[in-house]
This record gives sequence, structure tokens and C-alpha cells, in this order.
Amino acid sequence: MIEVSHLTKVYGDKRGITDISFTINEGEIVGFLGPNGAGKTTTMNIITGYLSATSGTAKVGGIDVLEDPIAAKKNIGYLPEHPPLYLDMKVSEYLNFVYELKNADLPSRKNHIAEICELVGIEEVYQRVIKNLSKGYRQRVGLAQALIGNPTVLILDEPTVGLDPRQIVEIRNVIKELGKRRTVILSTHILPEVEAICERVLVINKGVIIADDEPQNLAGKVAGEHKLAVRIAGPKKNVSQLLRSIDGIREVTPLADREKGASDFLVESHPAIDVRKPMFNTLAKAGYPILMMRPHDMSLEDIFISLTEETADPDDLKGVHQ
Amino acid sequence: MLAILKRDLRGYFTSPIGYVFIAAFLAVLNSYFYINNILQATSDIASLFGFIRFVLIFTVPILTMRLFSEEYKQKTDQLLLTSPNGVFGIVLGKFLAALAMFSVVILFSLLYLVIIAAYGQPNVRQVLANYIAIYCVAAAFISMGLLLSSLTENQLISAVLALAVFLGLYLLDYSGIGQNNRIINNFLYAISMFRRYENISRGVLAINDLVYYISVAAIFLFLTTRVIEKKRWS
Repeated sequence: MIEVSHLTKVYGDKRGITDISFTINEGEIVGFLGPNGAGKTTTMNIITGYLSATSGTAKVGGIDVLEDPIAAKKNIGYLPEHPPLYLDMKVSEYLNFVYELKNADLPSRKNHIAEICELVGIEEVYQRVIKNLSKGYRQRVGLAQALIGNPTVLILDEPTVGLDPRQIVEIRNVIKELGKRRTVILSTHILPEVEAICERVLVINKGVIIADDEPQNLAGKVAGEHKLAVRIAGPKKNVSQLLRSIDGIREVTPLADREKGASDFLVESHPAIDVRKPMFNTLAKAGYPILMMRPHDMSLEDIFISLTEETADPDDLKGVHQ
Repeated sequence: MLAILKRDLRGYFTSPIGYVFIAAFLAVLNSYFYINNILQATSDIASLFGFIRFVLIFTVPILTMRLFSEEYKQKTDQLLLTSPNGVFGIVLGKFLAALAMFSVVILFSLLYLVIIAAYGQPNVRQVLANYIAIYCVAAAFISMGLLLSSLTENQLISAVLALAVFLGLYLLDYSGIGQNNRIINNFLYAISMFRRYENISRGVLAINDLVYYISVAAIFLFLTTRVIEKKRWS
């Protein structure tokens, strides 16, 4: 549905993105994950035809965005980083304007707009002026705008930014629902968001794609080993020595203590060995009860650090790149 | 194009700009009509239209200043440029919206004709020529204002630039005074936005004069399109 090959964008003497290629199939929900300034927005702007690439091509539904922009844009619904709202218009006027702007031709304009309003939950503000809406509602009106005309591809640039936690969950559900019938690309710098919505994730950093995988695999693959966060009742020094003696444990890093009389550690083990049972037995024998044990969540920062470290080594690049 | 025309036309009235434009324009025009035509009891409207042409210098910037600047500022240009419309269609829609606003003022000016017809005999040929000509001048001015608006995201800068350009064009007509160089004078005449108008206002509708104004409008609409297309590449 979306084919991007060798996209490069140079701003003056600054590189926006470098040689980005990927293909997204029909019906996929793909997350675009990366820190601020990584090139997510640039890539999206090129796919939607707002910017032109310095080199490389982007195709939507088999149509080159540069060669036949009007036909390509007909397939795309785009929610940019800042929702493109006319503040002096009412929501109703705005959505009707977008309908006309997109030259949409559906059996019933009224039903179409009403359905979208219901889906994103803006019925109660339908007759209000956009200027007076809260950030959350503005974001939803922006999303509604992208949905008008039933585009087959949705491109959403940080759709949940600025929403409160309840709204974030709602919007995520809406996007999931939309993704059943459409191809969706959404960008975010929040890892759990990708895990919650996406079937596939492209990690981008400094203008280069550094990973392309399912979200569940990403953390595991990147980590390459298992990490456990544990809290053990006992003196730090003794416990630490004891942990190091267990087969399969590679490294024990003391963490800040959170509880009196207990020590926190980050335990890294060999991926092939499950160290949880031996840990329990050894510590129980020594009389140091385990108060807590949980898998250590990879944060986005951890992923970036480990991915960028790996990409420095060309052999590892192949492994991550699929 | 039609969607943009409608939106921008409505936009003039959801902000004070449309009302300010109409009120200011008509206040000045009505005073002029009263002083020139009623007090002096003349049915000659050439002088009135000559004055409209002059008022355009100060009012067209009000019309054009926000057309693109405001889009950039609110980031709504992203919506327009990612919609399935050609850039020229977008430019044309905005141009026609401003021209339509100008037409509102011109519609009011029809009242003057009613008053003149009640007391005298308007020269139909002259009236028609003047209406056609004033549209041509307005179109040329609006297209220039549109280009200046596409260059900046600050409405004020865009308005001040337009004002400076229009006043500069006005002064250009006087820059040839005192020079006997035929070539320079002919050149100044050829590019003058105002002197050509004098023929028309006498009722002489020469094709080359109309072509001049229409080509000026076309060139600046084209340049505006290029400016916006160029933004994608920067």
C-alpha cells in the first residue's frame, strides 16, 4: 500500500532523513517510533506530498506521490503534528469545508460526517467554534478531518500528544478500530503506545531506520538477554555475592534501595538459562527472602542506546534489520 | 478551488477584516461621490472611478495580507497542500475570494448610478468601460498582494509590503516628469498601472490595455504558485 524507497531529504546542509526504505502492506497498523527530531515528521510529510524528497520515491497505492500527486493524495488522510484547524470556524463548517476540499463524493455527506463525529467523540462540540475548544477536542477534530472521504491510508503524526490519559486510551481504541479497514501509520515517541496499537514498528533515529519488527520482539531482540529487577531482604554485599555465584547470571547491578532492610538489584542473565528458580532456591537457603521480582522493562531510551550501539557494527545491522 | 473560495470569502466575515474593508472603502467613496458628483452636480463618473483606483492602494493590502500568511501561521497550509488539489487551484480560489470581496464594494457603487440616473443621463459606454477597467486593476493589485502574502507568515509584513509596492507603482508614474527621454517615458508608460487607466476611463476600451492588466494578474498568480511549490523543496 505504501512503498518508500531510498528517501533522502536534505535541508540546506542538514540531513533530515537518509536513505529510508520500507513497505507497508494493506491493513497494517505501523508505528513510527523515534525521539524528537529523528525524521518521523519529515518522512510523513514526504509521503503525504507536503514536502518533496531530495532523492528517492514514495508511492501510495502504487501511485508515485510526485508524479501524480492529486491521485495519490486522494487515498491519504493526514493528521499533521499540529492539527490544521481554522480557529475561526465552527467544527461543522470546518468538516464540511474539508469534505469539499477533498472533493469527496460519498452517497450522503451528512451521514458520513455524523459517523466520523460519533467515532472520534466530537458530537457535543459540533456547533462550537474551534477557537474555544480544548486541546483534546482540537486533536480529535484534527483526527476527524483526516478521516473525511474514507481514505484508505491514514497517516497520523503523534495523534495522542496533548491528550489526558483517559482520552489517550479512547483515541488509541479509535485508531485500532480504524486500522481494521485501513492502512495506518502513526508516529510516536512513546513505547507503550506502539505496543498498545501497532502490529509492526519502525524505529527511526537520526534520519535512519534502525529496526523494523513486531513490537513484542523488539524489546527482546534488542536486549539480547533477560533482565530482572529484584528486591531482596538482606545486606547488599552478601546478597550481591550470592547472586553472582548463581549459574547463568552475568551481571548484578545494585539499584537504589526503596525499602528499609532490603536491597534492589538489576540482574542480567544469559538468555538461554532461566535463573529464576535457582535464584529462589539459593536465596531461600541463605535466608534472604525475595520480596519482589519482575522483568525489567526496556524503556525507549534503552532500546535506542542498544540499537544505536548495534548499528555501529555492520554485522549486527543485518540481524536487526530483518 | 471552489471550497477554498467559499472558505476564504466566509473567513473575511468571521473576522473584522471584511467589515473593516467594506466600511472603510465605502466611507471614503461615499464622501467622494458627495463632494464630486452631488455638490458639483455632475454625471461624470470617470473621476470617481479614478479615485477608486487610488483607494485600492490602501485597501487591497487589507484583503490580501492574510490569504497565505494566516495559513502558514495556523499550519493549515498543510491541510490545503496535502488535499487532492493542484497548487494553482488553491491560489486561484484565494484570488477569486479577494476579488469577490471587492465586488461587494462595487455592488454598492451601483447605487451611485441610480442616483445619477435619477437626476441626469449617465454615459452608458463610459460607465461600462470604467467597471471593466476597475476590475482589471483590482485583479492586478490583488494578485500582487497574494504573492506578497505567500512570502511571509506575518500578516502585518505582508500588508506593509503590499502597501509599499502599490505606492511605489503609483510614484513611478511621476518619476518620468521633467525628463525628455522618449525611451524612458515610453517604458514608464508601458509598465504604469495607472496611466493606462486614463484611456479607459474616457470610455476608450483598448484591447492592449486590458491585456496588460490581465497578464499582470496572470503572471503574479503564476509566481505565487511557484513560491508555494518551491516551499516543498526547501
